[in-house]
Amino acid sequence: MVYDDITELIGDTPLLKLDARVHRLEHVELYAKLEMFNPFGSVKDRVAWAMVKDDLDGIVDKRQTFIEASSGNTAKALQVLAATRGLRLAAYTNRVRVTEVREVLHLLGAEVHELPGLSECPDPTAPNDVFSTIGAVMATDPGAYYRPSQYTNLKNVEAHFRGTGKEIYDDIGPVDYLVGGLGTTGSTRGAATYLKEHNPKLATIGVVSSRADFIPGIRSEAEMWEVGLFQPDVYTEIVPVDSGVAIDATLELVTRYGVLAGPTSGATYAAALDVLRRRAGAAGDRPVKAVILVCDRLEPYLSYFRKRRPELFGRAKGRSLRDLAPAEVAGTPEITPDDLEALDGQQVLKIDTRGSMAYRIGHVPGSVNIRDDYLVDMLSQGLPFPTSTKLIFICPVGELSKRLAAFTRQAGYDAASLAGGIVAWRDAGKPLESSPRG
Amino acid sequence: MAGLAPRIHPLVASFLRRRDLLDEVVARFGSPVHVVFPEVFAENVAAFRALLDGYGFRYRICYAHKVNQSRALVRAALRAGLGVDVASPGELANALASGFTTDHIEVTGPKGDAFLRDLVTHELTVNVDNLWELDRVACLAARQSGGHRAAVLLRMCGFGSSDRATPASRFGIPLAQATRALELVRQRHDVLDFRGLSFHLDTNDVRDKVAAVDACLALVERAYALGLTPRVLDVGGGFRQVFLADAGAFDDYLHALRRGLAGDGEPLTWAGHTFGYSYDGGAVRGIPVFHKYGNSTPGPEFLRELLDSPLDGHDGRTVAQVLADNLLELWVEPGKALVDQAGLTLAGVEFVKEAADGSVLVNLDIARDTITPADQEVMVDPAIVYRGARQDYRHEPCGVYFAGNLCLERDMVSNHKIWLERLPLPGDLVVFVNTAGYQMDLSASQALMRPRPPKLAAVRGGADFTVHPDAAYGVVGGG
Repeated sequence: MVYDDITELIGDTPLLKLDARVHRLEHVELYAKLEMFNPFGSVKDRVAWAMVKDDLDGIVDKRQTFIEASSGNTAKALQVLAATRGLRLAAYTNRVRVTEVREVLHLLGAEVHELPGLSECPDPTAPNDVFSTIGAVMATDPGAYYRPSQYTNLKNVEAHFRGTGKEIYDDIGPVDYLVGGLGTTGSTRGAATYLKEHNPKLATIGVVSSRADFIPGIRSEAEMWEVGLFQPDVYTEIVPVDSGVAIDATLELVTRYGVLAGPTSGATYAAALDVLRRRAGAAGDRPVKAVILVCDRLEPYLSYFRKRRPELFGRAKGRSLRDLAPAEVAGTPEITPDDLEALDGQQVLKIDTRGSMAYRIGHVPGSVNIRDDYLVDMLSQGLPFPTSTKLIFICPVGELSKRLAAFTRQAGYDAASLAGGIVAWRDAGKPLESSPRG
Repeated sequence: MAGLAPRIHPLVASFLRRRDLLDEVVARFGSPVHVVFPEVFAENVAAFRALLDGYGFRYRICYAHKVNQSRALVRAALRAGLGVDVASPGELANALASGFTTDHIEVTGPKGDAFLRDLVTHELTVNVDNLWELDRVACLAARQSGGHRAAVLLRMCGFGSSDRATPASRFGIPLAQATRALELVRQRHDVLDFRGLSFHLDTNDVRDKVAAVDACLALVERAYALGLTPRVLDVGGGFRQVFLADAGAFDDYLHALRRGLAGDGEPLTWAGHTFGYSYDGGAVRGIPVFHKYGNSTPGPEFLRELLDSPLDGHDGRTVAQVLADNLLELWVEPGKALVDQAGLTLAGVEFVKEAADGSVLVNLDIARDTITPADQEVMVDPAIVYRGARQDYRHEPCGVYFAGNLCLERDMVSNHKIWLERLPLPGDLVVFVNTAGYQMDLSASQALMRPRPPKLAAVRGGADFTVHPDAAYGVVGGG
């Protein structure tokens, strides 16, 4: 199939029937609306395009810059739409909380403005509010900006009414449950309104993050007050989900169904299972039909997963410093600052295990800098030193260096630790050598 | 009926259960009174130490005196082996009178010439706010006899970048002036003892603090290149308190408050107060003028988050690792977090009346400014000590506003509705818990010639509570 413009690929996303042997919900057909198949990677492509397309010629003529409150998928989609037409996007946000998302926006050329952290001294005039900041910026240069305003623009809802909701109905007919994450609420509100016209008994489930927890792309229930489009009566139930639960469910989507979705979709899937287990009975003579909205892909959230589940990114297992028993470390030779100084000129390798700034500022003359984390990595592979050379490890206070010496001695090296570390060396009045930045 | 039930430390709870003690306090000292609990303070210190002892760097905790004028809490800081951070001549006098030696006192904030003279004479550590001050300290130190060098930390500010702002601050030396500051320190090495760098940000957003640490570390390296030897990185304070038993209750209250403002529920504010919210076509927006009552994270955890944060400029080594690597001593200046749960304010009910709009006003013998910092609404329910006979009360819940004792319209102790299990009577006591952080003294005045409430220190020791005037704690037989 040949397309003339990337925007023609927006919408008409596939609907995947999730394998019942995995979710094991009886009398339930659970479908995933795969919004990640949109060309820029998320459900927001529909919204961004719907909000700007009617006005696009005028925006281009006036060389206006898009200005929007978004730190994620809407900004990404708007930026692509802007860039391909020679326009720019200024995105305002309290904070971009996921590193890769910020990096992608930078890579695409978006101008991202992050507001300062919230003051501890409450002040209603403090510039912490994205909406009022955008208003103020637009006022400084009237006519220069075009504000799609995803949190209040009804075209956001309409895109899902005409698009997402209708597509689902065209594919599977009447739906009993619609489950989606709540950000602007455009997707659930728009799709639910359409689906409800064809099944008044539709239950719409909104998914939010638990209080004080964080799931990218969705809000906590308390934050829903900031959303102009939010209509509480659209929802049969609003379900809070923990980030931990969302991550587990995301991994299940990935590994059991092959759906490489992001954490918001995981939260949605978890909420759907929870609600359907509690509520679903058969819908007359046919199984219950439930749809979850899978809004974006897994990959931009690697750091989110890494921060919460470092073990998923585990290093190669092997014996490590942590496995050393205190008794194995206890007898390790230490060398005093005086003795180390007296070794000058002999065949020893002095290894400073601290960070590079510390090494640059001042180190034991003649020592080389190999950071502790590199050394620990190397230890599992075998050290790049000849066993004929005596090794002296140097750390801030002589603790880590002692463990490193114990470990390398077990590997057959003649190794020792500088007793008391660089602190003892400094306090003994020994000379420190500095090395400038390269 | 959304409630904001306070978190109450077990020691404070056992104090409040002792009705005989409360009666005795009111009989001896009258009402209202403020009470501080030095033992709770000591526990808060222990929590910070438990965290910091787990890292491999030296540290100093300086109690930020400005949160409370209590002499007893300053003595508790001394007993716990802390330093003290003072911000005025009065606080300095209090610290010295409490027994702090000059090497454990540091001075922050705006100072002025007369105070600086004092500081240099006393040989205190000056947390320098600006280049004028740095130059002035050098000049004053040069005039000192005895060759003592004035200890200085350089407080820096302006850590934002073009795409990421940090909160604006009136304090500190802008990063752009760092070169001049370091050059001045180097030139006046004979009279200035440059201890290190410092910042304090008015936010608990860890990314702002990480950016500040990153910038200060770069300055440490530049200082070494100039032949200086900074040994201290002072990351300030501002760590939060935990006010509510269930922080979710705060969200629920705000939810009800916003519904009320949107006309979709019972109004919960006196005389149309909006607390900074604005109603705008379906959404109630804005940032309320409240302290962070929804916080459920204890103070030391904010510090842990900072210390465990990786630094981009240091190959992802954490703040704690880089401090240890560089033999830097960490200084922190908690105030609120050290006095968290360590105080309460006891007021009396004078009378109850109904306002024209039907609102019930419980009038107290205390003024708003005596328990609220900088006119900010305190979103924590007080506890009521009903002292009348059971049959005197109508036993049904009611929503009330508390009114103060000043002849001023604005003197409402609460502008938000508070639900009580039953309406109090004259002579009942109203206990505002957890008031030691800024609430007792920051804005307290003697408006309309109403005296300020006395301050007491309550100590349980091993056995029963003893209650002294605050200034007597730790002196004659006290504590």
